Amino acid sequence: MSPVLRSVARLLAWRFGTLSARIALLYAGLFAVVLGVVVSLAAEGLSRFGEASAARDLQANARVFDEILAARARQMGDQAGVLAHDFGFRQAVATGDAPTIASALASLEERVRSDMAFVLTLEGDVLAADASGVPAPQTLWARLDAGETRGIIASGQGLALAAAAPIEAPDLIGWLVIAQPLNRAELDRLVELAPIALEAQVAEGSTQPEWLRGAAANAVFEREAAGERFLYHVSDLAVLQDGIAPRLVLRHDLADSLAAYASLKWWLTLLAAGGIVLVLGLSWKVARSVTEPLQQLDEATRLIGQGREVSLTVETDDEIGRLADSFNQMVAAIEERERQIIHVGLHDGLTGLPNRKLFTEQLANVLTRRRTGEQVLVAYVDLDDFKMVNDTLGHPAGDALLRMVAEHLKEDLPDALIARLGGDEFAVLIDGIDEKASLGNIADRLQACFNRPLTINGQAASSSASIGIALAPGDGEDGITLMKNADLALYRAKHEGKSTYHFFEPALDEAARQRRQLELDLRAAIKEGGFELNFQPLYSLAEKRLTGFEALIRWNHITRGRVSPAEFIPLAEETGLIVPIGEWVLREACHQASTWPSDVSVAVNVSPKQFAATGIASVVLSALSASGLAPQRLELEITESIFIADVDTTLATLHSLRDLGVKIALDDFGTGYSSLSYLRSFPFDKVKIDKSFVEDLGTSGNGHAVIRAITTLAAALGMETLAEGVEDIAQFEVLEREGCQNIQGYLFSRPVAAEAVAGLLRDGVGYQRQLRA
Amino acid sequence: MPVQMSPRTAHGALLAALAAVTAALGGVFSVTAATPAALRVQVVDERGLPVRDAVVELHASKPPAGAIRFPWKMGMAQKDQTFMPGTLIVARGSTVAFPNLDNVRHSIYSFSKPARFEIELYGRDQTRTHTFNVAGSVKLGCNIHDEMRGYIRVTDMPFAGKTDQNGYVTLSGMAGGAARLTVWHPALRTPGNESASAITITGGAQNHKLKVALR
Repeated sequence: MSPVLRSVARLLAWRFGTLSARIALLYAGLFAVVLGVVVSLAAEGLSRFGEASAARDLQANARVFDEILAARARQMGDQAGVLAHDFGFRQAVATGDAPTIASALASLEERVRSDMAFVLTLEGDVLAADASGVPAPQTLWARLDAGETRGIIASGQGLALAAAAPIEAPDLIGWLVIAQPLNRAELDRLVELAPIALEAQVAEGSTQPEWLRGAAANAVFEREAAGERFLYHVSDLAVLQDGIAPRLVLRHDLADSLAAYASLKWWLTLLAAGGIVLVLGLSWKVARSVTEPLQQLDEATRLIGQGREVSLTVETDDEIGRLADSFNQMVAAIEERERQIIHVGLHDGLTGLPNRKLFTEQLANVLTRRRTGEQVLVAYVDLDDFKMVNDTLGHPAGDALLRMVAEHLKEDLPDALIARLGGDEFAVLIDGIDEKASLGNIADRLQACFNRPLTINGQAASSSASIGIALAPGDGEDGITLMKNADLALYRAKHEGKSTYHFFEPALDEAARQRRQLELDLRAAIKEGGFELNFQPLYSLAEKRLTGFEALIRWNHITRGRVSPAEFIPLAEETGLIVPIGEWVLREACHQASTWPSDVSVAVNVSPKQFAATGIASVVLSALSASGLAPQRLELEITESIFIADVDTTLATLHSLRDLGVKIALDDFGTGYSSLSYLRSFPFDKVKIDKSFVEDLGTSGNGHAVIRAITTLAAALGMETLAEGVEDIAQFEVLEREGCQNIQGYLFSRPVAAEAVAGLLRDGVGYQRQLRA
Repeated sequence: MPVQMSPRTAHGALLAALAAVTAALGGVFSVTAATPAALRVQVVDERGLPVRDAVVELHASKPPAGAIRFPWKMGMAQKDQTFMPGTLIVARGSTVAFPNLDNVRHSIYSFSKPARFEIELYGRDQTRTHTFNVAGSVKLGCNIHDEMRGYIRVTDMPFAGKTDQNGYVTLSGMAGGAARLTVWHPALRTPGNESASAITITGGAQNHKLKVALR
């Protein structure tokens, strides 16, 4: 690779900051290289042309100079001819009148400014005013006689240009010859007639220096002298005398003729430099026209990256314009998608309402803007029994209900921000409420939204909601607090009975705090075994003995002491901790029961959540096998609420448990969703009559009838009956009379610790002892 | 000088031809009478080409007495700006007439030694005369017409003539014996344009060839 190519490659590899600089420099560089080559070629060509044309000029000028010499000789010849034709002169020559001839010749010399004039007669005599310096006649005669009339002669003053004219009287009698020495002055006068600057010299060939003598005649050649370049032209001159060989040497200073081209070269270089600058500028402009849109695109892309809104102006309909257009379309598409994504991210897909995130944001905004003296209301709404709608009518119906509720909220509360927080939970934000405004009215208005009639799948339906309300600034200044407090209020509203609203009050917060603490303690208890089982005996009227015990959980809290199951079981139900707790109860109950006599069974409560959890059958099996308890000695007590969930699944679970050989009792019969169809759908082993019915025996008159109906029904279905909460003998006697088969309650014994069971079995319990007695 | 058929020499050739015919007739007569001596001379140049209008004179040792008479007119006319005939041989003492037959005026001059004269311009149909008393050659020119050349050969000898276009001239009537033969021609490259050679006249018909150098 040549050095030039290497440097070009290096130039190309050079990283310029901008594309435009790179393009401009590359083009200008290429142009400069090409121009440089062109200019140097042109300069070289100009030099050659200059030299060639100078040589040509010299050649032409040599001819011109020959012409000048010839013209001068002709002029001299003409002047000689005038005298030679003069009658008197001819007479004088013909008659040999020497004085006359001499005077005539002197006069001629004067007239034509010739230095020498003489007559050479045919006989070879020279007639002249002053014959000195005249060349020897015999050297002239032959050429004159041959008819030559012009040429160089060697006079006494050096080489001279001579012209001869014949003298005829009337025949040729001699020649009149005039001569002009070709000295410096004369030659200088002659070269002035030449078009170019010349230096002329006429010299005898033999006296010239070697290099000049050897030079070919009529050819131009160059020679350097004293650092200067000269062009030489040498020509042989015609002679009028034998024995001489004069040569004309013309010299031309090459610098003179090249000077014009030198300035041309400068102009060319200047022009090239100007061209490079122009190209640099133009290619910069062209490059800018490409890169400027790129820069704009770059900037726009960066701005879009920062999330700003950008649109490029489309100025041209070329590629750049189309690119800008496409870019704009892309930006628009991205914005549209972003908008959709944001919408999806901030809205609920089902109802189109804002979601929790957007609600939180808006709440924060509203709170920031809140003016003094204004209140902001946050309401948490939970639809009552929505789960039942979903379970009984199907999810599509549930969705429809949610959509309708959302519509109603939007219609009835146009100024409020409605959000769906998930499931059947809604949130309502109303701002700008005057301090003195009636909050009750607002709450009522909110509540009224849910009382509107609904139509689901063509069926009229009704809905209700529990509402928790928190207000800023009273219940909290920030959104998180407000929402938490509204949630607490909702919780309370739910617990206070459905279809109601509850305003937040600080006590709620305290209750919630306690609940949270309790939950933490509960978890610790599960881990550390803070529970124990108490057992309440079950007395069989038929066998007149204790046939089993119901295992009841007791929690000995480290600080609070004994905590009521009524307090922590619902919490465990809510938090799902009931599952591990229930499992522990099962295992512990089985373990204790295994130490009892084999005709004594144990009854364990199974919560609906535990029942619905997967693997209840395997938990039971595991507990049985771990304790070695016979399955028929384990009695699982379930409530009717398990049927609220999927009936088929519930039945399948019941059957799988029954297949293990355990007994299944229906707890709290007569309360809640009591349905006779449940009794028919599954053959329970035992029905436990709820204590509310037992309590009624003392107060209402028809308590007996209810008991009788249940016992009759159970007997008809082949199920045992058990009454719980029996506290006095009157109740016992009614139950015995009405056919109840088993009794549980304080009448016999409170629940006792596990260690006490053996004693109870041995000694009998409470009223049993009276019965024995 | 090679033969040039200029108008002047053409007329000269015609006259020379007439003279030759006359001489030949004379020759015929002399042959039939008493076979007198006759010299036929041919003049050629160095290349062998015949030289026309060369004057050949035979200088006998004993020139015949009595006036010399040539059979041609003693006149040199000017016609068509030429002298006619261009070369005229006259006896010494002859008066030659110069009639101007042209429409223009002519003058006549001679710088020749035997006869230096000058006749001023004269017009058409005018005649001038000049008498030539010295033998030799006279070159005539016209001052205003440089190209006009006329030559008059003034001779003492009766045996003279000029060559025809073939370079021939015949001299007759001379006596035998040694003699000198001269040739004159304006272009002859000798002093005086004349060359001489010795010849012996044998009597009777005799041929002689002269080679001359012409300018």
